[in-house]
Amino acid sequence: MSKSMILSGTDLSKKYGNLEVVKGVSLAVDAGEFVCLVGKSGCGKTTLLSLLSGLEKPSHGKVNLDGREITASSEDELALFRRENVGFIFQSFNLIPTLSAWENVALPLFPLKMTSEERRRRATELLGKMELGHRSEHLPSALSGGEKQRVAIARALVNNPKIIFADEPIGNLDSTTGDAIMGILNRLHTEEGVAILMVTHEDELAKTANRLIRMKDGEIMS
Amino acid sequence: MNLRYMTRELYYQKRRTLTSILGLSIGIALLIILNSLSLAYRQAAHVPLQEIGADITVQRSGDVPKDLTGAVFPCSAVTIRKEEVEKIQKLPGVRGIGTGLLLWVFDPNRAWIVLGIEKENSIGPSLLRSSITEGRFLEDGKPEALVEQAYARQFGIKLNDTISVADKKFPVVGYVDASRAAKIAIANVYLPLKEAEELAASSKELQSVSPYAPGDVNLLFIKADQEKITGLASEMKGILGNKAAVATPDSFLKLLGSLFALSDKFTLAASLIAIIVAVLIAFKTMAGNIAERAREIGVLKAVGWTNRNVVSQLMSESVIQCFLAGILGLLIALVASFGLSFMKVNIPIPWEMSPTPHFLPGGGDQIFKTLQLPVHVPWTLASFAILLSIIIGGMTGGLLGRHISKIKPSEVLRHE
Repeated sequence: MSKSMILSGTDLSKKYGNLEVVKGVSLAVDAGEFVCLVGKSGCGKTTLLSLLSGLEKPSHGKVNLDGREITASSEDELALFRRENVGFIFQSFNLIPTLSAWENVALPLFPLKMTSEERRRRATELLGKMELGHRSEHLPSALSGGEKQRVAIARALVNNPKIIFADEPIGNLDSTTGDAIMGILNRLHTEEGVAILMVTHEDELAKTANRLIRMKDGEIMS
Repeated sequence: MNLRYMTRELYYQKRRTLTSILGLSIGIALLIILNSLSLAYRQAAHVPLQEIGADITVQRSGDVPKDLTGAVFPCSAVTIRKEEVEKIQKLPGVRGIGTGLLLWVFDPNRAWIVLGIEKENSIGPSLLRSSITEGRFLEDGKPEALVEQAYARQFGIKLNDTISVADKKFPVVGYVDASRAAKIAIANVYLPLKEAEELAASSKELQSVSPYAPGDVNLLFIKADQEKITGLASEMKGILGNKAAVATPDSFLKLLGSLFALSDKFTLAASLIAIIVAVLIAFKTMAGNIAERAREIGVLKAVGWTNRNVVSQLMSESVIQCFLAGILGLLIALVASFGLSFMKVNIPIPWEMSPTPHFLPGGGDQIFKTLQLPVHVPWTLASFAILLSIIIGGMTGGLLGRHISKIKPSEVLRHE
């Protein structure tokens, strides 16, 4: 693993019963790099994202994230590792409906020993960056799709991650809102130096990335 | 455990929260009500004996007198010898003994039920002192009588009249209201024990059925350590033989006949059922609630919550819900207990304990002690119920939390 490499997967395979969803994939992401994983629905890109982020263990192969081989880690070790190093953005936002915007942002910080004020300060600061400072007390049900995704991005950033995994982050948004979200992701990568691995089925979106990786039938094509 | 997250979850998911709380509170309320009722019946069973200042009464049944003339023993209360009384007095757990001598006296024109009482003993019929409606109580060394108020009215006996009982004269110094007095060992005429002893000792009819000497009695009122009552009852039967009739709160409880009064086993079984119902309700509603939150749990794990974090969060939510359910159940039970405390129960007093000859007016009537069921929720039961609720909450939350925390975040998040 090179000095600037933040993530590498080597010969990764994932089988569900007899069905092999990911087939011997190897890829690497450098620190601060914006990589787009493109492919049609069902090609295995979300599974690959799960393997690389430690949400799922591969049937075969190794994942190295920020200099640590995570495939051998226990579930709780992985959770702690994700809490400190990784951010997630999902297509359906996955905000907790009973928590306000700032509380959703602070969700990864809840298990940490810190004061409520500190959590709130960090969360509202990020919401301010997402231009949602005025919405911090609102529940997700009172937010638009774009606002929800911006809250989700703030949540992904609250632990100062080295890499963000984004799974179809604008799949549920209209084109204008989607463009705004992509703008934020680009800014994160260019200004904050956060590496991003984004999964999408839209070629158009991949143009903004540093690198494009195509997947088909569980394998990397290019 | 994050308090803010917990309160938000319970507050905003009102349907879930209320379903869980209501469901479990019904089980807890049932548990408290069942036990309060059982306890109330037990306390009610103590009342007839408590009213006469005793925990146990002892008699010995004998033969029916051949000839109903003069003074005789009721067949349910023949001689208990002085030595036997002394043996009973020495039994461990006996705190005090009161004695009485119950006689039927058949004079040519009237039949009397006479009870000889110890005037100064706080155990036994001397408690009649508080039921005097007119006149005064018996005084030391004087051969005088108290007459039951209704009986005096029926037969026109007035205060300061002199009555003749088995050819012996007694001035009437007071009226006793039997309706206010204990229903055990009620009589028409109350005499000092010494006078009753003399009547008994001088009666040939009585001696022929059951030899009697002054100092012997035929009624014992015993104050005893509560936890030893059952054991003492059997020891007394051992001293007095098979014909001993020993009445305890337990024997009154059996007379009450209610399911709650029948046995500890019934209450225990019913309580267990209530607890199982409460646990099942809590488990089912919370299992449903947690299953609805599988995706949320997946998100928590994805953003770095460990299994332990998830379990402690769910467990704390469950404990709080169950605690609130316990409080609500307790409130429901308190209201129900208040309502039930207006219920009246009739405790039948066995004929043997208040033996009016059946051929006298009202002699065959069953005597009842009627009282309001003393239903209340003791703090120990209330605390137990709340503690149980918390334990159920901890168990349910812990088990379900452990189960759901094993979920793989990728499994719930992939189905977007």
